[in-house]
Amino acid sequence: MSVRPSAEADPVLGAAEAAGTPSRTGWRKAWPFLLILAITAAVPLAGNDYWTLIATRAAIYWVLVSGLNLIIGFAGQLAIGYVALLLVGAYTTSVLASGNLGFALPSFAALGAAGAFGAVVGVIVGLPALRLRTFYFAITTLGFATIVTQIALAWQDVTGGGVGIVGPEMPAPFDSRIGFFVLCLAAASLCTWMTLNVAASRHGRALVAVRDADVAAEAVGISKPRLLVSIFLFAGAVAAIAGGLFASLQTYITPDAFTFELSLLFFIAVLIGGRGSVLGPLLGTIILTILPEFAAPLAAWAAFLYAALLLVIVLVVPGGIADLLDVASRRPLPPERAIMPRPAALATLLETPAGKPASEPMVLKGIELSFGALKAVDGVDLVIEPGTVHGLIGPNGSGKTTTLNVVSGYYRPQAGSARIGGCELLAEPPEARARLGIARTFQTPRIVGEASVIENVMIGGTVLGHATLAEALLALPRHRADEVRLREDARLALRAVGLEGLDEVRASRLQHSELRFMEIARALMVRPAFLLLDEPAAGLSTQEIKRLGALVSDVAARGTGVLLVEHHADLIFDICHHVTVLNLGQVLAAGTPAEIRTHKEVVSAYLGA
Amino acid sequence: METNRRSVVLGGAGVLGAAALGFPKPAIAQSEPLRVGWLAAMTGPSSAPAVGFNRGVVVAAELLNAAGGVKGRKVEIITRDTQGDPTKAVNATQEMISQAKVHAIWGPTNSGESLAVTPIMARQKIPNIHPCVVNSLIDTKKYPNAFRISPSNVQWDDAVRSYCLKQVGAKKVAVIGDTTGYGVSAAKDSSAGFKKDGAQVVYEANIDATQPDMTPDLLRARQAGAEAIVVWSVSTGMDARLFNTRARMGWDVPFVGHPSMASGEIAGLLEKPANWEKVYAIGYRSCSYDDAGRLPPRSDAFVKQLKGKVELNDTLLWWVAAGFDAINLIAKAVAETGSSSREDIIKYWNTVSKYPGVYGEYTYTPENHDGYPPGDVVMSAANSGKDGTFKLAPGYS
Amino acid sequence: MLYSILTSGLAVGAVYALIGVTYNTMFSTSRVMSFTAGQLGMLGGVLGSLFTLRLGIPWPLGLLLTLACCALIGIVTEFVAVRPVLKSLDQHLYVLSTLAVALMIQQFTAIMWSTEPQPFPRLLGGIGQDLLDEKFWLPVVTCAAVIVGLELLYRRTILGHAFLAVAEDNFAARALGLPERQLRVMAYALAGAIGALAGYSGGQLLLAFFANGPHLNFYGFIPVALGGLGNNRGAVVGGLALGLFQQTANFVVGGIFASVAVFTIFIVVLLIAPQGLLGSATARRV
Repeated sequence: MSVRPSAEADPVLGAAEAAGTPSRTGWRKAWPFLLILAITAAVPLAGNDYWTLIATRAAIYWVLVSGLNLIIGFAGQLAIGYVALLLVGAYTTSVLASGNLGFALPSFAALGAAGAFGAVVGVIVGLPALRLRTFYFAITTLGFATIVTQIALAWQDVTGGGVGIVGPEMPAPFDSRIGFFVLCLAAASLCTWMTLNVAASRHGRALVAVRDADVAAEAVGISKPRLLVSIFLFAGAVAAIAGGLFASLQTYITPDAFTFELSLLFFIAVLIGGRGSVLGPLLGTIILTILPEFAAPLAAWAAFLYAALLLVIVLVVPGGIADLLDVASRRPLPPERAIMPRPAALATLLETPAGKPASEPMVLKGIELSFGALKAVDGVDLVIEPGTVHGLIGPNGSGKTTTLNVVSGYYRPQAGSARIGGCELLAEPPEARARLGIARTFQTPRIVGEASVIENVMIGGTVLGHATLAEALLALPRHRADEVRLREDARLALRAVGLEGLDEVRASRLQHSELRFMEIARALMVRPAFLLLDEPAAGLSTQEIKRLGALVSDVAARGTGVLLVEHHADLIFDICHHVTVLNLGQVLAAGTPAEIRTHKEVVSAYLGA
Repeated sequence: METNRRSVVLGGAGVLGAAALGFPKPAIAQSEPLRVGWLAAMTGPSSAPAVGFNRGVVVAAELLNAAGGVKGRKVEIITRDTQGDPTKAVNATQEMISQAKVHAIWGPTNSGESLAVTPIMARQKIPNIHPCVVNSLIDTKKYPNAFRISPSNVQWDDAVRSYCLKQVGAKKVAVIGDTTGYGVSAAKDSSAGFKKDGAQVVYEANIDATQPDMTPDLLRARQAGAEAIVVWSVSTGMDARLFNTRARMGWDVPFVGHPSMASGEIAGLLEKPANWEKVYAIGYRSCSYDDAGRLPPRSDAFVKQLKGKVELNDTLLWWVAAGFDAINLIAKAVAETGSSSREDIIKYWNTVSKYPGVYGEYTYTPENHDGYPPGDVVMSAANSGKDGTFKLAPGYS
Repeated sequence: MLYSILTSGLAVGAVYALIGVTYNTMFSTSRVMSFTAGQLGMLGGVLGSLFTLRLGIPWPLGLLLTLACCALIGIVTEFVAVRPVLKSLDQHLYVLSTLAVALMIQQFTAIMWSTEPQPFPRLLGGIGQDLLDEKFWLPVVTCAAVIVGLELLYRRTILGHAFLAVAEDNFAARALGLPERQLRVMAYALAGAIGALAGYSGGQLLLAFFANGPHLNFYGFIPVALGGLGNNRGAVVGGLALGLFQQTANFVVGGIFASVAVFTIFIVVLLIAPQGLLGSATARRV
């Protein structure tokens, strides 16, 4: 997205937004939800049980969709067949409450048990997502939906087979239309609150990072399997509870109540709502639940209309309702803005207790890596001393970025070692780098375009958080402390790299050069002992390259070892303490900038141009 | 393409007199219309029955209204298309009760929906009459408001079983259902019945209705020595494949079972018309003709009445007749008691004895809401369909 | 018994394989797995029945019309659901757009055609039993003919070479001056015709039934997943194996558990070998 200069640009827009007090921003975010809650709560006042029923249904669907939203909207995993979880929850609750197994649980206990079982099934249904992508995963979820339906049919003694089973009856006062509605509304409100908490937590940001920038997510220490499994647990649990409530609402369930159309409703509700939003999918769920009631004569065309709606959303408004509501992101940004790094902010950031000054150098020895017959890296040795900038140069295809990727753990070399002190990096998975104090940027910035700048930077601090997903769901003190600290750090990091005032702007609206600095801010969040920069000056103006140089020097001066892969010779010779030159995967020369500048072979092979 | 079946309904009949049906003369006093909710799976898979029922419903309402309504009250049919989806049926039921404020509900038309909405209707004590066969739907203690116009599954089962055992003389039977909820439970109940009566169920299976080849199942049934094959499926595609496979195997075992085996759509799915021989589907005495091609007198009169007004060649007479009877049963209760209150309608229905409907003579008591006369469930020759009626299977007189 | 498993297993397997080839043909030029593959198969049966049984057109002409209609639908799919989202960086959008188109095709058919399975015409008349019965050998012969035809197309014609070049590396192909967009449209038309052939040749087995779409989508995808994306020979081997396995499972464990068995084994195999048993190209992430 490009930034259009505009006459009525508001130069202090970003700053004003960033300066909103927590309680005011909280209110601004909360009022749409409170309004929806108030309207929904008022439905029974109409005195018409029918609309109370529809509102109850919307609330139940939302309980499921709120969890599914984290999977589809946040983590980007296309779970089409989520009606499977509704079925599992409905049957578990009904079977346990009915006594078909020889004992009967009270309804609420059965609902709780269904939640626990649903969490397990949620993980089973979700697990293929760790191995399979998009279409493949979508198809496997459909497969699961078929399997559970068939099991419900075949396991007649327990599920009642095709004849079905009586849904659980809720104890008083939840056994009346209104009472049950209040129960479901409370569950829906709780789910809204919990998913909002997750969305605003390091876990929520990590999910979005996995979706849009999975390589960067690994680099900042996000373990995709752990993260996804914890989300599948939660989504499975709430979906199964929704299933129990659904069974109670239906009073009687048969396998044919769990139609593909219902699954589609859940799936499309998230997508027309918009990815990465909670409000959008909530509105989507409400709309899709109510729509067929107004369009009764069109009943036969309902599925067709859902599909048409999906197509229109995909083609015309891929951002969904959330995008339409997001007025702020359409306000113009100040056209003339400069990146002004602030050393003072950098000092404050890096002096915090979390900073780990590097005491031992990173030593690469005899790294060898070939792709098929091509030797990309052929016995590279490299030492990065703490507190220095180490330049890595060479012609295209000489193995610079490959070396960086070996250090980051994306490639496993056939030979060689990379150590910091006694720690062998090559034995660790990519996501362990952040904890070891290694941060990096990418040749093409890998960012989450839909998230705000400050959220992008906060992703860098994922490993510094302490609160678990469960704590985040319930907004327990540790989670709140995490958030305050991360936000404060991110603000400092943004000031340090010179992006002050853009905190709340969507990252996709920034200019390319700004994204490069934003990536550095993200990397600084872990107070890295070693910082790997992959062509940070590419696409920057001369002025910006100067500022970048100063910033990198400052970072090194605070004790961080920087490995700088770069083509801009001036920048390299200005700020590097050591330079290594690669050619055809081998070290052509190594030494101080002065030595390299006069190195014969280097001059002929590379600098001569 | 599919519309032919539906659009004719809208044309409907309207000029026939209602006097012939024996209703009391309408009172002069006009009051609010008599609103009847009609939960119909008019579209979607398995919509054929509802489309047939609907023709009877429309005719009944038009006849009643043409004769001045019920005690001067216009009959208003409030139709909701549930598409066979229990979720939509629950919504529609609540809407009819709370919003449209209907006085009684006819339907839904398939068991999955009915299972879901029956408890909801019971809670509201709304008079309900439906044609769903699942046994548990009728329970005068739990659902004192629910009445069945059609036979129950037990009655169907009994008819099929007694035909297999007595007429076909089979000692060994194979029971085959499809993998839908209905197919699984019906096949299971049916097997249990056969075993109880001392017959041997040598093969029992549930087949996916989309399975392209039924040879494995029939081969196994033959190896097991089956002398009759009992089929419980609403899928005409599966029925036709079974018949074709039997012919290709050169086997002459009879098929006995679900009414769908007599559906007109099967004709086009057969490889040879002869493949449809020796197939006996559940039918009703009121809708079956004898060797001379004669229908029972009351049905004959009904068909004549419908002639030119309602299409019968693409549906079943019993669907049209049952829809017709259901509306008239509701109207009759209001006409007799002069009240459309929920209690009065139910109270009246509980006293109905040998009500002369077209489809059957219904008898309800406070203890028994399965009002269809058991002896009227018969087997008919599946390939004998003629304007929605069938020829009685061999062995009936 | 074994004989019956073989005849029907190979016949349905050939239909699945053809749907797999339909997936592959669309994938090769666009890197898109389209949910419309199964719907094209469904339409092959429905349109075949519509033209020949309802409208009384002789079957060879009806077949041509069916192929033309499905090729057109392939082209429409390319314009509506593929082209607009290819530009987007979001990997997932094509899943949604093709799913939407597939559902629209299915619902439209359900409403305008019928929700009950309708008969499909016999083409050559009863000239044999079992394997000689056309409903069993037609899909197998069609599948073989399509594979041979595609091989000839890819190996012997300039157009085929262009297809292969685009499939190999579409950036390079564009750099060479190949009309990548037109080739993609042609590939979608071709896929439409192949999908139609799958449904048409299997029409007597599967009938003209609107709900065949999702069924074929799933069972046609399995050969692709097992054989490896873009690998037509893999799809044929996978399809026939699936057909035989499914019929055996139907036979051994019966209806309900057969589909559970197929689904379960499919998911497990996919988890063990996400690239398929016969392999396909992997993409570099960094």
